[in-house]
Amino acid sequence: MNIEKITNETELTLRIEGRLDTTTAPQLEAELKRSIEGVEYLVFDFLNLEYLSSAGLRVILAAQKVMNKQGRMTVRNVNDTIMEIFEVTGFSDILTIE
Amino acid sequence: MIKDKIMKKNRKKRKISQSFQRWLLVLVVIAFLATTAFLWLLQTKLADNNAISLLRLNISDVREDITDASDENLLKLTHQVADDLNGADSISSELLSALAEKYDVTEINYIDPDGVIRASTYPDFLDYRMDSGKQSAEFLVLLSDKEEYVQSYRPVSYDNSISRKYGGVSLENGGFVQVGYGAERFQRDIDEFVVGVTRNRHVGEGGSIIIVDENWNIVSDRQGNEGKNLDVTGIWIDKESTPANERFICEVYGEASYCMYQTSEGYTIVAVMPQREAALSRNVAVGVTTAMQIVIFTALFILIFFLVNRLVVKNIYKINSSLSSITDGNLDTVVDVRSHAEFDDLSNDINSTVDTLKRYISDAAARIDAELAFAKAIQHSALPSVFPPYPNRHEFEINAVMHTAKEVGGDFYDFYFVDDDTLAFLVADVSGKGIPAAMFMMTSKTLLKSYAESGMSIEEIFTVANDKLCEGNDAGMFVTAWMGLLDLKTGKVTYANAGHNPPLVKHGDGSFSYLRSRPGFVLAGMEGIRYRKNELQLEKGDVIYLYTDGVTEATDLNNSLYGEERLLEVLNKNADADTSAVCEAVKSDVDAFVLGAPQFDDITMLCLRFNGKNNDREEVSE
Repeated sequence: MNIEKITNETELTLRIEGRLDTTTAPQLEAELKRSIEGVEYLVFDFLNLEYLSSAGLRVILAAQKVMNKQGRMTVRNVNDTIMEIFEVTGFSDILTIE
Repeated sequence: MIKDKIMKKNRKKRKISQSFQRWLLVLVVIAFLATTAFLWLLQTKLADNNAISLLRLNISDVREDITDASDENLLKLTHQVADDLNGADSISSELLSALAEKYDVTEINYIDPDGVIRASTYPDFLDYRMDSGKQSAEFLVLLSDKEEYVQSYRPVSYDNSISRKYGGVSLENGGFVQVGYGAERFQRDIDEFVVGVTRNRHVGEGGSIIIVDENWNIVSDRQGNEGKNLDVTGIWIDKESTPANERFICEVYGEASYCMYQTSEGYTIVAVMPQREAALSRNVAVGVTTAMQIVIFTALFILIFFLVNRLVVKNIYKINSSLSSITDGNLDTVVDVRSHAEFDDLSNDINSTVDTLKRYISDAAARIDAELAFAKAIQHSALPSVFPPYPNRHEFEINAVMHTAKEVGGDFYDFYFVDDDTLAFLVADVSGKGIPAAMFMMTSKTLLKSYAESGMSIEEIFTVANDKLCEGNDAGMFVTAWMGLLDLKTGKVTYANAGHNPPLVKHGDGSFSYLRSRPGFVLAGMEGIRYRKNELQLEKGDVIYLYTDGVTEATDLNNSLYGEERLLEVLNKNADADTSAVCEAVKSDVDAFVLGAPQFDDITMLCLRFNGKNNDREEVSE
């Protein structure tokens, strides 16, 4: 997995590439812990995300919970595979997917 | 990445060899400066001493020359007088006076064999006993074994205010004659010898000897200033403050020089040696030794540097590479630098530390493994595992399996009667793995069961359980679950889906198909979620198959997923098999697909076949 971080004042975009699973989720979690403070708009760009496991969902959910308190969060460029996961798990109900 | 940072940090720090080089250089420079300074002082002192002894040697040479010349001259005269006296009938003071005039000497004395002056040109000396004065007593050797004796110019014993140079020669008839020079006569006598005697004499390369008389007039000088006062040379001697035979410094003919004087026979002999000449020898000596030192110290520096590099730095690098191999996780690496006792000790220490570490790790791993196995056992024992579970209920047939991956996981299945005619059945999957997931699974399972048993409807069970699970869920875990309540009398299933994979259902003699419904959000994800109730009508022979994503997301070595298509296919192949055979068939199909690729997720499934309503059973039993 590869995380590309784009910061624009209080807007943070995280571009995730590859697999977001049990082994890589802690890396994203650590990155969020580092950078989420003061962010008012968080964007996950999943254009090149190949796989998303429940561990990854957990991190996304945690981010959503934080952003519920301090701003808003959007998930962008979700491909069919990932969209299916979001739908099956009901995440599509609670996430703002563009 | 962390390792990279450490390496970068290390790169900025100075190497041992560089530190060593620096200190060695400082040390060598200090040693070099110290020895050079020491040599300089030593050579200066040595050059000084050399100059002094050179000056002394030259002075005493000249002095001896002068003395020899005057001695010879006086003895020649004394012999002539003695010859005259040997030829005379008697020796009287008058005779002596005549001889004194004849030979132009200041004084003549005749001493009898008893050592008493019997005749003299000085009436006062008559009857003087020679042994009564130190200077005069020296001549008594002429009465015993010596033929002639000459003394240097000095004050006489009889009267210290008079200085004389005496010579004595023994007479044929016993006794001896003593001939003395006064200052003037003496000077006149040897001046002709002394003048210019040092004109060609060198002291060292550029030094010279200057001789002056009692009136400080130059008698001999390399520059040819004879007859002039000593002042012209620039030398100033104060005999009170400057002792004879000691070095002093003067400007001589405009050049700073080491000087030394001695007085002899009324002359003052001054030896002069330019200071730069003394300094030159010192400079040459220091220069040569300094050059040699530079060579030696450079060689020493290079030798020590290379030796340390070879013996220490290389071995440290060797140990370091072994250590980084150990740090990279290769605990079987052995540090083996045995060139010296210190490295031997270090290697042994590191090896024993790594051994201890290995032991601790394997102990800890064994303990953790044991605990995990224990946790797994507890987890499994919490699930219904006896099949068939209700031997006296024939309305349905149920089978479920859970194959846990290496770690304990968060999958679970469950089924139980909530009342006599309602069977609850579910499959769930807790996000994450390990002990936390297992503990969360136990909580979820218990909560769902207690709410179900309290008679709640399916959507209520999920809604309440979700809010309950959200409380204190600091770890942010969540559970996907599919749960159904089967009314055994009617075959109606009310179910809810909290973010779980869609189950497969087979109706009648048809084939399996996915039961897709709009899923609710996962349990424990967010408070206040309301779940929907869905309904499904089962008829006799209908089968419902629940599973976790461990099945569809089982991966082979090429990272491709087992997928829903394959699952559908294998189920359809075993559409008529009983529930346990269905579970086994799916498991073996998954195993065949992954071909030994390690699986990180639990594989859990539940298969339920509805055998017809209660009255059907009665029909069957009848």
